[in-house]
Amino acid sequence: MAGRNGSATRSKRLRKTWWGYPRENGDVGARNYLLVLSGTLYANPTCERVARTLRHSVALTHPLGRCQIGPDIQRTFETLVGHGQNANAGAVIVIDHHREEGCTADEIAHEVAKTGKRVEAINIREDGGAIDATAKATRIGMEMLRELTNERRQEVPVSKLLLGLNCGTSDTTSGLSHNKATGWVTDQVVKQGGRALLAETTEMMGGEGVLADKCVRPALGKRIWRMVEEMEERILACGVDLRGSQPTGDNMEGGLTTIEEKSLGAIQKAGSAPIVDVIPWAKRASRKSGLHVMDTPGHGGESITGIAAGGSQVLIFSTGGGHTINHPLMSTIRITGNPLSARLQADTTDVDVTDIFEGAPIEVAGQRVYDEVLEVASGKMTKAEILYEDNAFAINRNGPSV
Amino acid sequence: MPVTAMIIEKGDNVATCLEKVVKGGSVRLMLNGKMGKTLKANQSIPYIHKICIKPLKKGEHCMKYGLSIGVASKDIEVGDYIHVHNIESARGRGDLA
Repeated sequence: MAGRNGSATRSKRLRKTWWGYPRENGDVGARNYLLVLSGTLYANPTCERVARTLRHSVALTHPLGRCQIGPDIQRTFETLVGHGQNANAGAVIVIDHHREEGCTADEIAHEVAKTGKRVEAINIREDGGAIDATAKATRIGMEMLRELTNERRQEVPVSKLLLGLNCGTSDTTSGLSHNKATGWVTDQVVKQGGRALLAETTEMMGGEGVLADKCVRPALGKRIWRMVEEMEERILACGVDLRGSQPTGDNMEGGLTTIEEKSLGAIQKAGSAPIVDVIPWAKRASRKSGLHVMDTPGHGGESITGIAAGGSQVLIFSTGGGHTINHPLMSTIRITGNPLSARLQADTTDVDVTDIFEGAPIEVAGQRVYDEVLEVASGKMTKAEILYEDNAFAINRNGPSV
Repeated sequence: MPVTAMIIEKGDNVATCLEKVVKGGSVRLMLNGKMGKTLKANQSIPYIHKICIKPLKKGEHCMKYGLSIGVASKDIEVGDYIHVHNIESARGRGDLA
């Protein structure tokens, strides 16, 4: 684990560059995977067969893409397109089953192709069934990987980074340590012309005013107030109480008393960077340098899936309780400042910032996290990436199945 | 050895205890890395939970980060353990909707 006695315990000059895979549209990938993307749950096993056969490939599968009402099928479609467009995918194969209304492999591939990367669509029925479709996708994928693995990383500035920000199993150490260190990293990335992406609308409840004050235009602040209000209205419309779900049981065991307290800790990840845009779930972030805010639920898997669809190559997941969360396509760095969790969850903790509680300045811990971000962006694998902890691709939905 | 408790903003009602505290144990407050006065805990406080450092009347806002984290559901004294038994959220309240 980086930290404590690690290499970056003393202040030194910040690295200004990282090594990535430049794409035709100006994006830069931190990985060069072949992405095998499922359009619908009935294509999941074929996607998994193809990805298991091909080294350096990643399958993204999910239970959706069928019998969803309008806004939800659109949400699934945009999420899948966003992952296909994410710069960490060097090439993409999309597989669907028969005809998935509003979410076909052809439609997804058409959108992904706009990035300039190579993409192919496979339809299980038209391509001769599960076995023949698997063979066709495998053969195409092998040729794609011959090209991908012949590409080399190039040195690029920090401005090419869209850093994802998320926290989870928060406790009272979150707002005091790892979220503060994350905020310091956010500031360094933005100061160099880069972008960061903050999410988790539920965890803005009680902190709306702080975020609104960071917005470059009053209209953006109003959008933050409005999206938190809508989240609160959706909860109340279910005839339930937010208490019991948020803060969660592990949050309360970790000393967090109310959602307001959790939120004020969570928004420390924003640092002092200006908020330049507020976007819906899974929408691609614009190129403006600064902090972007995405409207997502507090559910960690759904939130980071939205962030990956927004285009982030690397995400800091700052956690009080420790975590196994990992997105299959977007490199996910887990950090903690909770000494007990750093020990109990060492297997999947990449950076330890517990020295903050021994009096280490935030910038010392922050620099350690910053270095890890650029190293991981340049190809170093996170612990969970090595362990295949690919547990966090989860598409958000609002309506029922029909 | 007193347990250290971190205050985030001057004026906050609470501090976060960095170790568990036994009833009657002493807690030393820290703000911006500087050690301040020592309090006695009126109840046991679990690992990284909060202690009251500024009294609250029922209905008053409990401040942390210089902002409200909820409302006192009963009067709270300095040295009291603060958690869900004496502070309530003001948000997402189905029972008040």
